[in-house]
Order: sequence, then structure tokens, then C-alpha cells
Amino acid sequence: MPGKVVEKKTPKQTLLTAITGNVGAILVGLKYFVNPNRFTLKYPYEFIELDETYRGFIILELKKCIGCMSCARICPAAAMKMVKIQVEGKKRPMPVPVINYNRCIFCGYCVDVCPTEALAHLPVHDVVYTNMEDMVLDVDGFQKLVDTPAKDEGVPVKYVFDPERGLVKVPATRG
Amino acid sequence: MSASPALKDEIKLPGMDLKKIGKDLYEVFIGPQHPGSGHMRIIIRVDGDVIVEADPDLGYVHRTMEKLAEGREFIKVIPLMERMAILDACNITLPYVEAVEKLMDIEPPPRAKYLRVLLCEINRIASHLYGMGIFGVFLGHSTMYMWPFGDREVFVELAEKLTGARLTHTYAVPGGVRRDIPQGFREMAEKAARYMEKKLEDYKRIFLDNPAIQKRLVDVGVISKNLAAKLGIVGPNLRASGIRYDVRIIEPYEAYDEIDFEVPIYEEGDAYARAWIRVMEIKQSLNIIRQVLEKMPQGDPLHEKFWAKAPKLYKTVYETTGRAKLIPLYANLKVPAGRAIARAEAGRGEVIYVVESENKTKPYRVRVVSPSFRNAIVFKYIVPGHRIADLPAIYGSIDYFPPEADR
Amino acid sequence: MTGIIDFIIKLIIWPPLFQLVLLPGLVTALVVVIFIIWFERKTAARVQMRIGPYHISPRLGGFLQLIADLTRYAFQEIIVPRTVDRAVFIGAPLTALVLSVVPVVAMPMTDIPRYFPIPMDYSLIISMGLTTLSPIFIVAAAWASNNKFALIGGMREAFVITAYELIFIISGLSAGLAVLSYNIVDIVEAQAPFYKWILFTNPIAALAMYASILMSTSGFPFEIPEAENEIVAGAFTEYSGLMYGVNMGSAYIKRFVYTLLFSLLFLGGWAPYTPQPGFIAGYLIPAVIVVVKATIVMATISFLRAVYGRLRIDQALDGAWRIFIPIALAGLLLALLEAYMGVYA
Repeated sequence: MPGKVVEKKTPKQTLLTAITGNVGAILVGLKYFVNPNRFTLKYPYEFIELDETYRGFIILELKKCIGCMSCARICPAAAMKMVKIQVEGKKRPMPVPVINYNRCIFCGYCVDVCPTEALAHLPVHDVVYTNMEDMVLDVDGFQKLVDTPAKDEGVPVKYVFDPERGLVKVPATRG
Repeated sequence: MSASPALKDEIKLPGMDLKKIGKDLYEVFIGPQHPGSGHMRIIIRVDGDVIVEADPDLGYVHRTMEKLAEGREFIKVIPLMERMAILDACNITLPYVEAVEKLMDIEPPPRAKYLRVLLCEINRIASHLYGMGIFGVFLGHSTMYMWPFGDREVFVELAEKLTGARLTHTYAVPGGVRRDIPQGFREMAEKAARYMEKKLEDYKRIFLDNPAIQKRLVDVGVISKNLAAKLGIVGPNLRASGIRYDVRIIEPYEAYDEIDFEVPIYEEGDAYARAWIRVMEIKQSLNIIRQVLEKMPQGDPLHEKFWAKAPKLYKTVYETTGRAKLIPLYANLKVPAGRAIARAEAGRGEVIYVVESENKTKPYRVRVVSPSFRNAIVFKYIVPGHRIADLPAIYGSIDYFPPEADR
Repeated sequence: MTGIIDFIIKLIIWPPLFQLVLLPGLVTALVVVIFIIWFERKTAARVQMRIGPYHISPRLGGFLQLIADLTRYAFQEIIVPRTVDRAVFIGAPLTALVLSVVPVVAMPMTDIPRYFPIPMDYSLIISMGLTTLSPIFIVAAAWASNNKFALIGGMREAFVITAYELIFIISGLSAGLAVLSYNIVDIVEAQAPFYKWILFTNPIAALAMYASILMSTSGFPFEIPEAENEIVAGAFTEYSGLMYGVNMGSAYIKRFVYTLLFSLLFLGGWAPYTPQPGFIAGYLIPAVIVVVKATIVMATISFLRAVYGRLRIDQALDGAWRIFIPIALAGLLLALLEAYMGVYA
């Protein structure tokens, strides 16, 4: 059954609602003043341990790559390009993807379109590069694991849903 | 004052357009570098404290999205179009996907339809919360600014669990969706919904029932039923003026015709009704999310055209991680020639896409009519007659979002 | 040598100077204002799911953030636009700052006449009269800025001050009327027992005065003359750097002085304490008690920022003339009744 229209009315303002409204507003303010509900992430002292399903940085597993070029063709930001290199066990040079993180928008099309699962997302969201050239990875760089710079001084946390507080920050272990 | 006629000539800039305005009128530029404007400008002329003329000036964040779309393959248009309202990403791209599906003459499997509705409603809540936050700060109510932005995080997090990305989900693709719900998603959504329902009561008490806020909003910026119809505004603003129009019931798309929900209508048409309608719609969205998770049928995530012939690896990946992999055909999707139109109810109103294809891999034309663009015109008609202080109240109540209007 | 030191000490504790500069004058006002701004930020953050200032001194809960902000203001370039009236543009905020602290010279902080800045019988009227001086310079600063937003802000300031100063004065005078004296010392002494605080005997006048403090000292979100989303920064749109800081500071100092008067008139001044002979027991301690009471009143005002939004200028004026002036007059009537019945006889 589809949705239906329901007519509503905004509440009327009377002297009584003026008084109860003021009191109610102040009471709600006091309620949160006494029992604040905050889930601020104190980055970089804390950082979020992301789920495995998170669409973060991308890593290449060269052994699985068949050089089909689907990833480069589907990339909406033209961040992924193919380069021809000599791969072990192959007679002729094979096209292999490289990535330019200046352009990548983390849509995850390349990972989803890869027919052999040679590309995978890492649960990493923030990586620091000191200059723009470093963000253009070559085949070796594309195969390396990257990690968040906050891991050195911060503790990993995770947010879990809570019916009372919305989100609750709990300590997490690095998987 | 030291401003002499000589000085007036001195500050004249080359190419500056001078325009005579009425005697005793004062021209004030609200935006684009004014703390009370978005990426837009409203030129107002005031007589004392009362605005006599208002002129919305759009286009500061125009990014030629429609033209850019003509140079991209069909699937690459989705991440592009998302950028016009990143917090409403699924709603704003869904009609495009539907239009492409119409051209290809396919229909997504039932499970995909439900999943699309699920993300659409999560996005709608996030979008309304964003709008309410901006509304709050425009009225100088800092708590109403921080709370919705904080609570939006709950739904952004929920969307992240579902799609893997916080904002630009790129979730719906022609033929279906890209992921299934993860383990334990039902419980998470239920907890988030319970939290939000409780929090909405507090919103009501600190903001909507607050006499200071009521004074600012009641009978301010009234859009009459007639005017709303004449100007062709859409979304919650239209429904707050008493017009029964919601694409979800007029022309149910996806799984909306199988879901039982209410569309709240207010007759008042003032800023206060527009504030209320957003709260009520959030409540209904929570209701829809619950129903979707309950009623969702089993099945494939993608249309059989893309799923039946997929290699075995695709099925194992789907079963283990919930990711629906796309076959390489997607990169160069050839869409049969024709023209298709599709519309959906986004957070801010009806969004319409017209997609024209020439049997090529790239669209010939993608036309977008975004809700904020249709709502922007109301500034011209309802702002005059109000005081300067009412301008932020009206701006906030319209929930106008410049990137979406300018595209 | 000792003569000079004696002279300096004498000069410092010379009541008019001591009161104007040290306690509860400029120095105390600055400390209290720094505390109140920090408190305001932290309170708002608590209510609003945030943490507030923290990083700059985690152990003190970010208390030093204000010092950092002040330093930033101090080193920022002061831009004086070409189109302003220079003398007034620079002079007016500074005058307003000085004048906003002046009323304290008429507020006795103890009942020992030796420590009165200026002994007088009409200290209530004089101090209230002095509070009305500084707003005119904000209007002057707005006029001198030659900016559309500043002009609108200046006009709003003039409107708000006219309306709410009247409420402030009527409700303040009703405190004096109840005691049948316009000497603040008499008013405070009459409130010696806790239940005789005028806050309890005449809550109507207290409410009116509290509301007038809220509105006339322009604290967020009652800063209708400086409403950010409407008119950028109102009268202070063209100000930058330290000059802007001076403007902001004088608004807070004004509020502090108003709340000092409020705690003297309605909260029993140095009430639980009776001043003893001697500088410390007779002057310092009662003054600190009054300052603490004023700070608490300011803290409640700070909390309200998290609850309320901004009113429109016409609504604020409507509230003043139609609601609060009748309330203030009712307070006056109540005070008259109490005086007739001899509650404070």
C-alpha cells in the first residue's frame, strides 16, 4: 500500500504555551548541561578504526591482475591508468593499473569491476603525502599497504550505535 | 560624515554598473560574502528596516554538470551528479539511474528496490537535519545548529555501514545497487531510529516550542497555496503550503508503493510550518526505514542481465562480503537510443532528470531540474514586506542549497 | 624610600582608584570576563554535544584559549578604512570601554564609610545614571564607520538601549523604593537576613532587571544590534584586531557592571558577611563576595545562550514596551506597597 497524505496543524501560541515553552526549553538545556551527550573524536589522539567494508585507499594484488583494463575504463575521475610492465611469469609486458590519488574520488568502481578481485579497499581513510608527486603511485607503490598517520600517537576507537546516546565511542583493537 | 561628492567619484570602479534605485531606499547586498548567505547573493532594497524588493542572484557555484555529463560514460555520470548535494547523494542521483534503466528497459530486482529506498530515507533524514541546523544558526539558536549536525553523524555513520562511504555513496547503479546490508544492520538502524525519535522530542522542546523561536517563525514568509502553485516550488516547502504533492505518492517509484507511510501536510505555509514539516518527515523516514528492513525480500542485488552471466567469483564475493561486483560491461554501457524522464522526491523536493541517448556509451544530453533551483524564486516574492531580520529566517526555512541549485 | 612605597600603597588602596582599576574595576572585570567567556563556551559546548575549548590546555579544560585569542587580537592589524571618520572611529570604542566601567565608582562595596570611593546618599541613582553613558558611543562608532550594516546596527543599538535602559532604571529604583533609600549601603544592609533579599520580596522587579541586562548588554543570542546572520557585526562591522576586541570587551564589562548592581540590589550585596574593621575584612572580602555573586548571575546569562534564539528587533522592542515596562512598573508598585507596609522598616 502506498503512502497517504495526513494533514497536520502547527501548535497554537497562547499565554500558557509561552510559559510552558520557556520552562521546557530551559529544562532541556539543563538536562544536557548536567548530562552532556557528546561523541567528539579527539583526532589525532584517537582515530576511527574503520570497518573492513569501508571504501578507503586501494591496493593492488599484482598476482591476480590479468590486465583487462576494466578498472581504468570505469574510473570516473581518470585517476587510474594502465602502464605496461614486465611481470614475472609472463612473456610479454602486461598492462597493470596505477593510481593517482590527486584525482581519486574513492567511488570504488574499480574494486567492484575487477573480475579477479586484484584490487581491494583498505580500511584507511587518511594518509599523508608531503607533495603532489608522491600521490601518483607506480606499480610498486600501488601494492604497498598504507596506514593512517594517527596510528603512531593515537588510540583506535570505534563508534557503536546506542538507542540512548546515538553513537558511543568504544576502544577498538587494530585488526 | 566625511564622504563627500569627490570621494564618491574616487571609489567608482572601472566597469562598475551603477543603477538608480528609489529615493530613500538603501541597497544591501546579502552575500556572497555575508555570514548569513550561502554561495549566493540576495540583493535587497530596504526602506528603513523593511525590505521592499529582493532579488536572488544565483550561479556562484555553477559547475556545468549537465555539459560535463555529455562527455562521460553513463555510469560515470552518477558520481558527478552526486556532487550537487553530497548529503543527499542517493536521492539526487536515483532519477538518473531510473531514467537510464527506462532506456535500457530493465527493472531492478525487488531487493535492490528496497535497498535504494533504505538509503534514500537515510539520506533524507541527514539532509533534513542539515537544513534544520542551518535554520537554527540563522535564527541565532546555536544549540539547534549543533544538535542536528551532531545527530546527522548517526545517519552518516549508518549510511557508511551500508555503502562504505560517508557521503558520496554512489550506491544505485543502472540495474540495481552495489551492496547488500551488512551483518547486524537491522539492530544498528533500530538503535539509531530509537535515538532519533527521542531526540526529536528534545528538538521540539528547545526549538519548535520555544516561544522566542515561535515569535520569529509564525506568520513569517507565508507562501500561500496559490503562490506556491504559481511559482512551482517543490518539496517540504510546497507541502507546508498545503499542496498534496509528493512524488513518492503521486508516482511511486522503487518500493514506495509497497510501504505504508504518511506524508505530512501543513496548511499554514509559514516558516514555522516549514520547520515542523521537516521534523514530521524525519519521523516518517524512520518509519520507512523500519518497514524496509522488515519487508525486504530476498534476491539478487543486480538485474539478471548483469548478474546471471557474472562469473562464480562474483557470487562468492556477494555472499561473503555483501559487495555486488559490477561486470566489466558497465564501463562501456551502451544505452539504446531514446529519451527518458524520471523523477524522485529528494530531501529538498522533486528532482527531475531527462536523459537522452543516441545508442552510444555516453549520453547525448542529461538535463537536471533540481529542487533548490525551483525553490530559489520564492525569495523574490515572499521576502518583500518583511524586515531585514526575517531574511535569515526565511532563507533557513526554505532550506535552500546553492550547490544543488547551481549544479 | 619607605615614604614612596607608603605613598604607592596608599594610592592603590585609595578607594576611588582601587575600585575603578582593581576591585571590582578594570582588572577584576577583565579576569571575570575571561572566566565568563570560557564558561560560556564550555556551557554551550556541554549542551550542544561538543567539547569546547580544550586543546590549548587540556588540564585546565582549555581555559587558556581566551589568552590565546586575546594575543591573536593584539597582533592583528588594525585596519582603519579610508571612508571612516577617523577620530570618532578610534575614539568612540575606547571611550565606551572606559565609560562602561565608570559606574563602579558609585557602588560602595562595604558599609564602612572610610572605604567608599565617593561617600554619597544617592549612590543608586548616580551609578544607574552613569551606566547610560556608554551606549551613545557605540552609536557614534556605528555612525563613524560609514557602513550600511554598521548604520543598521547602530540604529538597532539605539532602539534597544532606549527601551531596556528604562526597564533597568525603573526596576533598579524599585529596589531603593522598598527600602526607602537610594543609598546602596542602606539597600544592602536592609537585605541582611537571607529571606529579605529583594530577589525574594520583589521577584517582579528582579525579573525585569534581569531581562533588561540580557537585552541591553548584547550577549549572544540577544545581540540584536550585532546579529551576525543579518547585519554581519552590526556597529562593529568595520572594526578589526584589537579595536574589535575592545568593542567585544566593553560589552562584557558593561554586563559585569550591570550584574554587580544587580547583586547589590537584589542579591543582598555582601549579605551573609558583615564587614569588620580593617582593609581586608572590611573592604576586600565584601567586594569579593559581591563580585562572586555578579559572576554567578553572569553565568546564568551565559547558559541562556544555549537555549534561546535571537529575537527580531521589533519583537524585542515590542517585548520591552508592552511586556517588560508594565512588569517593571508592577515591580515599582510592589516596592511601594512593601515600603508602605514597612517590610524593610
